[in-house]
Amino acid sequence: MKVEGWLFTAGCLFFGLASIVYWELSGEWVGTVALAFTAGLAFLVGFYLLATTRRVDSRPEDRVDAEIAEGAGELGFYSPYSWWPLAVAFFGALAFLGIIFGWWLFIIGAIGGLLSVVGLVFEYYRGETVH
Amino acid sequence: MLGSVLLTVLTACSSDDMPTFAMPVRHATNQSNRILSLWQGSWIAALAVGAITWGLILWPVIAHRRRRDQTELPPQTRYNLPIEVFYTAVPLIMVAVFFYFTARDEDRIMRTSAHPEHRISVSAQQWSWQFTYTSDADSSTTVTGTPGHPPTLYLPEGESVLFSLRSNDVIHSFWVPAFLFKMDVIPGRTNHFQITPTQLGRFKGRCAELCGQDHSRMLFNVKVVSPADYQTYLTDLKQRLAEGAAQ
Amino acid sequence: MTIATPRPGATGTLRTRNKGHAVVRWVTSTDHKIIGQLYLITSFVFFLIGGLMAMMMRAELARPGNQFFTNEQYNQLFTMHGTIMLLLFATPLFVGFANVIMPLQIGAPDVAFPRLNMFSYWLFLFGGLIVTAGFLTPGGAAAFGWFAYAPLNSQAFSPGVGSDMWIMGLALAGFGTILGGVNFITTIFCMRAPGMTMFRMPIFTWNILLTSVLVLMAFPVLAAALLVLEADRKFGAHVFDPQNNGALLWQHLFWFFGHPEVYIIALPFFGIVSEILPVFSRKPIFGYKGLVFATIAIAGLSVTVWAHHMFPTGAVLLPFFSFMTFLIAVPTGVKFFNWIGTMWGGSLTFETPMLWSIGFLITFLFGGLTGMILASPPLDWPVSDSYFVVAHFHYVVFGTVVFAMFAGFYFWWPKMTGRMLDERLGKIHFWTLFVGFHTTFLIQHWLGVIGMPRRYADYLASDGFTTYNTISTIGAFLLGASTLPFVYNVIKSMKGPMVNTDDPWGYGRSLEWATSCPAPRHNFVSLPRIRSESPAFDLHYPHVAVMDRPTENKNLLDQVYGEPDLEGGPGGPA
Repeated sequence: MKVEGWLFTAGCLFFGLASIVYWELSGEWVGTVALAFTAGLAFLVGFYLLATTRRVDSRPEDRVDAEIAEGAGELGFYSPYSWWPLAVAFFGALAFLGIIFGWWLFIIGAIGGLLSVVGLVFEYYRGETVH
Repeated sequence: MLGSVLLTVLTACSSDDMPTFAMPVRHATNQSNRILSLWQGSWIAALAVGAITWGLILWPVIAHRRRRDQTELPPQTRYNLPIEVFYTAVPLIMVAVFFYFTARDEDRIMRTSAHPEHRISVSAQQWSWQFTYTSDADSSTTVTGTPGHPPTLYLPEGESVLFSLRSNDVIHSFWVPAFLFKMDVIPGRTNHFQITPTQLGRFKGRCAELCGQDHSRMLFNVKVVSPADYQTYLTDLKQRLAEGAAQ
Repeated sequence: MTIATPRPGATGTLRTRNKGHAVVRWVTSTDHKIIGQLYLITSFVFFLIGGLMAMMMRAELARPGNQFFTNEQYNQLFTMHGTIMLLLFATPLFVGFANVIMPLQIGAPDVAFPRLNMFSYWLFLFGGLIVTAGFLTPGGAAAFGWFAYAPLNSQAFSPGVGSDMWIMGLALAGFGTILGGVNFITTIFCMRAPGMTMFRMPIFTWNILLTSVLVLMAFPVLAAALLVLEADRKFGAHVFDPQNNGALLWQHLFWFFGHPEVYIIALPFFGIVSEILPVFSRKPIFGYKGLVFATIAIAGLSVTVWAHHMFPTGAVLLPFFSFMTFLIAVPTGVKFFNWIGTMWGGSLTFETPMLWSIGFLITFLFGGLTGMILASPPLDWPVSDSYFVVAHFHYVVFGTVVFAMFAGFYFWWPKMTGRMLDERLGKIHFWTLFVGFHTTFLIQHWLGVIGMPRRYADYLASDGFTTYNTISTIGAFLLGASTLPFVYNVIKSMKGPMVNTDDPWGYGRSLEWATSCPAPRHNFVSLPRIRSESPAFDLHYPHVAVMDRPTENKNLLDQVYGEPDLEGGPGGPA
């Protein structure tokens, strides 16, 4: 995870420096805040990745001499198919339209959206797939 | 090497000897020559870089085609440090040179003096222009246009004019192509620029920032006349406005 | 490797029982390859719609006078043309290609969040439909230009509901793009096959990674600006009021998004070209690490140049933005020379993917040069907001997105569908488009410099613009017509023979060419050993792989500008 972590950390340093230089030279608020927040975003991800690097062992994909067999076994659970993304997106769209056309539509979208999100999250914890 | 070509071209050759690369007019203002020179030099450098690079693209296309009888693979070269350093450093030097001329010229162009000879106030609104000759007359000496009848702005040749740009509604942009210059007119702020027209003539002006339905009809004319004719025009204008007000 | 739970009654092959079943399979899919194809098809349809609008505008501008459209309708046309092309075509197209190809290239069974992936697609489709549905409202679609400057974007100056639908539709679609970016970064960081180190990933995957990072940095700013604008319009907020410097505030926010956005639509397509040139030159990509670091530099710098779109405002720090814009030309030039270096000394053949890639190089180069001119404020002031800028961005954007899109289509068609596209039709397609494109846009540089502003619905006969406009319109119709051989090719190829081989081009390098055409549900039945950036090539040409030796005693410059990770391979010491 080292390269990944440094990618974002380098970004954080670059945008932080850009933000400071830009402020000193221009005194312009919008660009300075935008650059500073970008540095903050890069910091969040970079810090997490570098901290994870320290915590976990070298993964097979980080080693130049790794063999494919080292990745053998179960990789994880992959949803085979699902109706829930469509449902969440549909109600989300209704909610966004509701901001334009009226609170009644927004409420339908918000409630439907909330129910769909619950459905999506619990999809593989119900029925046949209870575990 | 190309950097020095650019330097030579910009400093030694006269811009009058070179093609304008489509720029409409030479010498219309005290600034336009500087802009035209930079334009010409930049295009020469750009076309030189382009010619070399297109050549480098087309060379393998012609010379490194796979022959019909070829079955082996070419050498699997993955990198070459000297060449890569070269084509990183050379563009860096070229843009540094370009930046130097840019910074120098934009500084000169944006300068306004504390005592310009004339001040004109430009007001933009959907969808025409209003010119007020504030320094030579007063705030009531105003010419307003309509999309159907674009207004004409009179300017005195050889004398400096400080423009103040204000908008009454949305963003517009004050563009006279022959002056090789434009500046946006933004509601909530006043923009300034200063030029000295150096050529007599009639020039077209246009709005250059989308401002709604009749953006393409927001035209104006510029007439650069001798200082004497300019004063005559203003006297006539004041008289006509007074007569109009009296009615 | 786990096999996903098969749907009750479904088979594992491509054959489906009936059309309805196929629709359900696609609509409930969590397979990145299907979702990617949905993105590619939908964005291509938007491309056609946007292209039709372009032809309508060019028809109007061929002669002076309003022949077909009122000024108001024309404003809707260019607003929607720009919006559709940038946000509903080019951006989702990148998501489409990334979806179809990237997991295959890193040896992953799917993306990290398959259902989120599908959710992102629906957000794009619904958002895009909402934006475009503006045309069906009484006031028409949004007409304030794709950058929607304040205060023209306000309720007072653009009262129609079409404008609100533009705003909220883009916000919805934008969230989809952000989630797509999250998905791609997570997949690339967490799901690579053993031995696929970061510096063995294909350049296309690197570019998808960096584009996704740019998406995370840029799209939230757009979303925020759009939602605040809607608050101004609907709920009485005053954030973008001109008295509060709102006009400039909007411009800063929009362009802080807008400039990275044009790199978001460029970088993935640079990546496609970086995949194709090595295959048809029969050598590895030249300067792998130089390309990676150049792309990182471009991505970083692209966030710091936004106000070069604001030079004529008189309100921005000119030297800072001019300098950063000049700087960004350097890594772009490095990439260019790396591509040339890939072809140099190679053994070139000119199948359609290669034709399109070379067409990209030729076209983008000119757009890049005019970009350098525009980076200089004294040169930008005369030509900003004129057809010179229109010409510049069509050269860079069309040159990159459209040329590389077709390159990617012809190249990866067998990997996606199992069939090849016809080569002869492809060549007709390429040459018609190439001639049509340059006829349309080359002359627009001249038009802009002599004084024609952009977004003008009409001009006067006395302006002297007529001949150039007529030529441009002829080119535009040829360009539009060039799509027809492609559509015919797609239809015709559906009945063609299956390729039945992993690598129909013969010299494929990256991992997707080590699995069948098309790939199975979870991408690989077996994975080859990964010891370089060209694992499929090493698999198919072991006698060449054995000659790869990593550079001994790498110094700093070798580390930065050198080769990908070649250690542990059959050639050199482990």
